[in-house]
Amino acid sequence: MSERRPYVRAQPRDWWARKPYLGYTLRELTGVGVVVYGGILLAGLISLARGPEAFEGFRSFLTSPLSLLIHLLLLAVMIWHVVTWFQTMPKTMPKLIANGRHVPQQKLTLAGVGIAAVCSAALIAAFLIAGALP
Amino acid sequence: MTPHPNPRRSMAPIFWLMFGAGGMLSALFGPALIVLTGIMLPFGLGVPGGFGDYSHVLRFAQNPLGKLIVLAVIALFFWHGAERIFLTLKDMRAGALPILRLATYGVAAVLTLVTLALLLEIGF
Repeated sequence: MSERRPYVRAQPRDWWARKPYLGYTLRELTGVGVVVYGGILLAGLISLARGPEAFEGFRSFLTSPLSLLIHLLLLAVMIWHVVTWFQTMPKTMPKLIANGRHVPQQKLTLAGVGIAAVCSAALIAAFLIAGALP
Repeated sequence: MTPHPNPRRSMAPIFWLMFGAGGMLSALFGPALIVLTGIMLPFGLGVPGGFGDYSHVLRFAQNPLGKLIVLAVIALFFWHGAERIFLTLKDMRAGALPILRLATYGVAAVLTLVTLALLLEIGF
């Protein structure tokens, strides 16, 4: 009767769909959105390599309501990726010390999201400026 | 204790590096890229309609720097997603690890090679 009978906590198979793990699952699922967008770009590259007709087909897909819906959805997913990426970043790096004090993680998250916003805005601005040039 | 003369190296840091690079690239420029290629260029919003033309896009893809950008964005986005999907499926106990690796890292590796081949096919 001395056999070990350790307690094994039951874990339902759908643990990832329940709180408190749902937030983790939603964060990780942004990876699917990133992959889908990469796939759309790859489809564009394939049609570009095939020639003008194939590329026109790709362009006409991009102007369809379905494509617009997909891209708006992907944009929402990508923005969630930006937020969660910079929420995770301070937890994965060595503690930052400024003026003898730990920089709070919230500040690093805010700085990261701010830098991302500047980068994205700069890229769009570059296209707007290039488009406005004669 | 003397260190092992020939320690077994893990491949994990390589995948982790690709995951991080793709995650940072998509975090910094992903939203703008989606707005550009998904909304602004197709509908000619804010940019001339000719910006999304075959000849215009072809010239971008023929430029060495353009090729590097296309390869970095497509490949790193795939590797980023592959790492996330692999670890999540592993946590969900969705299947045997070799199969999960093949379905994530394997697919990312193949699609990276496809992207590279297409960029070379398009020429300079």
